[in-house]
Amino acid sequence: MRNTGILALNVIKDTARRKLFYVVFLFGVAVVAVSPLLPAFELGLRPQFLKDISLSLASLFGVVLAVVLSVNQIPGEVEGRTIYNILSKPVSRLEYLLGKYLGILADLAIFLLIMGLEIMVLVSARAHAASPLIFQGVFAVFLECAVIAAFCLFLSTFATAPVNVFATILFYLLCHVKTDFLHRTLVEGTNGLTKLLAWPAYYLLPNLENYNISQQVGYSNGVPAGYLLRVSGYAILFVLLFLFLGYLVFRRKDI
Amino acid sequence: MADPAVILGDIKKSYRSGFSRERKAAVDGLSLEVKSGEIFGLLGPNGAGKTTTLKIILGIIFPDDGGGTVLGRPLGDRASHYRLGFLPEQPYFYSFLTAEKGLDLYGKFFGLNKDERASRSARLLDMVGLHRDSHLTFDKYSKGMLQRFGIAQSLINNPDLVIMDEPSSGLDPVGQKEVRDILIHLKEDGKTIFLSSHQLSEVENICDSVSIVNRGRPVRQGMLSELLAVEGITKVVLSGAATAERVRFTGLARHIKETNGDTELEVDSNDLYRVLDLARELGLEIVSVEPSRQTLEDLFMEAVKERGH
Repeated sequence: MRNTGILALNVIKDTARRKLFYVVFLFGVAVVAVSPLLPAFELGLRPQFLKDISLSLASLFGVVLAVVLSVNQIPGEVEGRTIYNILSKPVSRLEYLLGKYLGILADLAIFLLIMGLEIMVLVSARAHAASPLIFQGVFAVFLECAVIAAFCLFLSTFATAPVNVFATILFYLLCHVKTDFLHRTLVEGTNGLTKLLAWPAYYLLPNLENYNISQQVGYSNGVPAGYLLRVSGYAILFVLLFLFLGYLVFRRKDI
Repeated sequence: MADPAVILGDIKKSYRSGFSRERKAAVDGLSLEVKSGEIFGLLGPNGAGKTTTLKIILGIIFPDDGGGTVLGRPLGDRASHYRLGFLPEQPYFYSFLTAEKGLDLYGKFFGLNKDERASRSARLLDMVGLHRDSHLTFDKYSKGMLQRFGIAQSLINNPDLVIMDEPSSGLDPVGQKEVRDILIHLKEDGKTIFLSSHQLSEVENICDSVSIVNRGRPVRQGMLSELLAVEGITKVVLSGAATAERVRFTGLARHIKETNGDTELEVDSNDLYRVLDLARELGLEIVSVEPSRQTLEDLFMEAVKERGH
């Protein structure tokens, strides 16, 4: 698995020189920084609200970054023909796929860690108290991004970038509404076709609402460690599933 | 005798064109054998299936049918990649890397340690003439410089088999000559070279064997010296023949020409002994007797036209 590490490191280096990373990063930081200026916030200086909204924004930018990093990772190398210099070396396709994924994961970890520190500094400045609980929320966002990145990377083994982005957004939305909208459709719906379509989405897609703990972090004492452990296992399961599906497609793909 | 470096047997590969169900054959029953230690040239017009063949050998694409071995291992076996180098056509590299870092990266995939990577990088960059530009990132490289780096990276693991897709592409005449010298040097080092090329003169100068493919099928294959020999015709070169003596060969030779004071005769093999006897009778020096050769360009055009290119 030496090659996986080499390739992951290469993804990080590549991200470091891509302007898109900085745009997303700076934009995220800027929005978090100006969030106290939002009209709703001026109703009262509430660090709870700041934590909640900052974590929601971190989640949004994390997901955008996960898609941006994953969507073109393999197609970009095929189009740019740099992949030939890798796969003609003793690098297996599994190592290649895992290397790409771990590189994306490392990028996301760095990005979210910086975001978390930014939020903590912001909250500390406002509330005059450190709030390490923020990182519970950041960790949950990281798990959600890890699932999104694995799904997007899987799609990138066969779909074009526009199709991939569209499908990933749809996936993201469905995974967030499954406990509410999809559940209601299945239980209360009367249209047979709608129920038929909702069934696989409800039972097969991951529930990404599991990772939306910004309110618990913002307004209470966060979530129990056991909960985080459980949702970590849940995320790992789906990540492995999507990577496995990606490998099944990629291992015999003509390049 | 060493095992062949590459064996391909009845390889077939086709692609679906657009949304149509019809498939277009890129390689259609290609068989070939590359002997260890030789320079093998794969020739053919655009779209003949040359690059597809190279990618099949490398396991980058998979044949629909047929099989083969590379350095004694089945096609696509990763173990053979440790002893193999590849130069893609018009190569591209991560634009954020420098030549030094690029070679370092590729060297890591072979498990070379840091010192080995550094010493090989320095030697290879010197060999391809990039040592002065090794600190520049690839986005500042010209097409020719990328090609030179491509050659260097294909040799980082000191491979036994080097596969090159259009090695002289994008190079000026000086660069082309340097590449030829590198290839000859590699052959002297005992390496096997498998190249595809449009440069017929390059192939004619350095290749031991060739395969000419057209529309995915081999149309001529074998040792270059045998392929270029014109069957039944022998070239005889005589020295010291005056005009009057040259006239004596008129009925026996198909063609007579004077080159640098020597007389060159193209003779039907059936008449060869009569020509040699006459030369001795006239007291002329026989400089050489060898099978008449056509140029590779003639052979290529003839082979390609046969399949209606």
